Amino acid sequence: MSGEGLVDAERRRFNRIALAPSLIVLFVIAGLPAIYLVVTSLTPFQLVNPGSSTDFSSPLRNYRLLPGDPRFVNSLWVQAKLSFWGVLLQVLLGMLLALLLHTQSRIVEFARTLFLIPMVLPPIVVAIIWKLIYTPDISPLYYAASLLNVTMPSLTSSVDFALTAIIIADTWEWMPFTFLMILAALQTIPEEFSEAALVDGANRLQIFFYITLPFITPILVISGMFRLIDSVKAFPLVFLLTGGGPGSVTEVTNYYAYLLAFDFNEIGYSSSVTIVMLLLVVAVSLGVVWMGRRREAMA
Amino acid sequence: MSGGKSGSMIGPVRRSASPRRLVAIGVTLIMLLSPFLWLLQMSFKSNDLILQFPPPLIFTPTLQNYASLWQGAFAASFVNSLMSASFSTALALILGVPAAYALSRWAGRGKHALSFAILVTRMAPPIAFTIPFFLFYRWIGLLDTVTGLVLVYTSFNLPLVIWMMQPFFETVPSSLEEAALVDGASTRVVFLQIVLPMVAPGIAATAILCFLYAWNDFFFALILTRTNARTAPVAVVNFMNYEGWEWGKIAAGGSLVMAPVLIFSLAVRRYLVSGLTAGAVKG
Repeated sequence: MSGEGLVDAERRRFNRIALAPSLIVLFVIAGLPAIYLVVTSLTPFQLVNPGSSTDFSSPLRNYRLLPGDPRFVNSLWVQAKLSFWGVLLQVLLGMLLALLLHTQSRIVEFARTLFLIPMVLPPIVVAIIWKLIYTPDISPLYYAASLLNVTMPSLTSSVDFALTAIIIADTWEWMPFTFLMILAALQTIPEEFSEAALVDGANRLQIFFYITLPFITPILVISGMFRLIDSVKAFPLVFLLTGGGPGSVTEVTNYYAYLLAFDFNEIGYSSSVTIVMLLLVVAVSLGVVWMGRRREAMA
Repeated sequence: MSGGKSGSMIGPVRRSASPRRLVAIGVTLIMLLSPFLWLLQMSFKSNDLILQFPPPLIFTPTLQNYASLWQGAFAASFVNSLMSASFSTALALILGVPAAYALSRWAGRGKHALSFAILVTRMAPPIAFTIPFFLFYRWIGLLDTVTGLVLVYTSFNLPLVIWMMQPFFETVPSSLEEAALVDGASTRVVFLQIVLPMVAPGIAATAILCFLYAWNDFFFALILTRTNARTAPVAVVNFMNYEGWEWGKIAAGGSLVMAPVLIFSLAVRRYLVSGLTAGAVKG
């Protein structure tokens, strides 16, 4: 008994030594910045005015300004449109792609890897790729349109199409992610289910709606929520393709916060915008964790 | 994408692929990868050829775009990217691997809270960290240094290591460790000599993902560097700003930035999703 107690004590000591450096470093490089961000959001800090970094005379000023800032409200709306259409298209197309590639074959297994390329490319390279596609002088897309006698407007500088152009690029980039998750879910469906249904005379469409779809619905939702969280980060595409324009048609909240801090030098106000964005992300993350747990409990 | 036209793609029955399905897969693949292939072929064309339409199907590829990149400042940016990604990967592994092992053997209170904190760190938009880091670096003089980038990248790589390594440690049978402990080995020795070698593949996969995340970063480098520590992704974008639009150079630069990513990520294909979802879902 006493020997085991000794081993336990030794194990606990090891655990402390193994964990402490990580926790300290995480606190310094993630915890402190988070705290500092909150503190800054309570000041009217501008880079040109150093004294303002410690001015706490009106701590909630920034947050009171937010609802009346048309650019901020607009940015939330743009983000909502980008997230909604992006997530919807990615889950839908990812599912179709997963169904298409859900088959046993050496070649198909190799092809699956190639389908992942857009997702693993550096985001800035994805932005460059779509910059080439959307630039009329050098774009195969515009050339193809001219062959068909169609005059295409410049997509990224058009009020009507700029956001759509970004959604298309974002969907191209992230569809492999939903595809991969959904394919993994498809592969866990026991074959007997659909075989039994086939014997009972069900057609393929019925099997899809009554067996496959209910089985993969949780993963559709979860993969969609992961994309929802990450859609807030769509920075390189906006930065390179439209710069938030024309006007502020594609100015998502992330981009607005970036402009505020590093173009307009409004560090304090930008921090408050970022905090609001962070709270939204945390709320969705909590939802994902909760759903993940429930799914594990069910399995 | 042709929806539910071919009936066989709807059902969950796994069977060998029909020729029709193979054709559909091939066509979809070519369509989806064509934007990527367009960039690649452009990097081997001279600027005159790039502007030429209809595009010639057969042309003599030139390496002049790559050569001019290598002679310019781009090479230094490439080295900066390599250094900041490698060092932050090493730092995150050294700190995170023992922590993940301890956490995987620890059922104490606070584990869930800690896990969630780590998840949030991974999910937070980069700008949340950029503002504090920018102000702090400006103050202590770490702006535009590789050291500064390494620290920032560690802020998202360390949580990734702690998340990704835990399941690997859980697969090590505890009977092995207990046997060694009974023989009088210390936990440190058990960890270093028995457990670590068994999770080597997991460490390799985690290391590659860390490297890729740091390598792929654009936002932090855009704001926290100017000229000295500028990374390759930022350098490529800078070709768009002056001296006209050097499309050939842009395409070659983009191709160089994505080369290591393509090679490495195909090697860790299995772990891509668990890395991206940060462990909230069991992959």
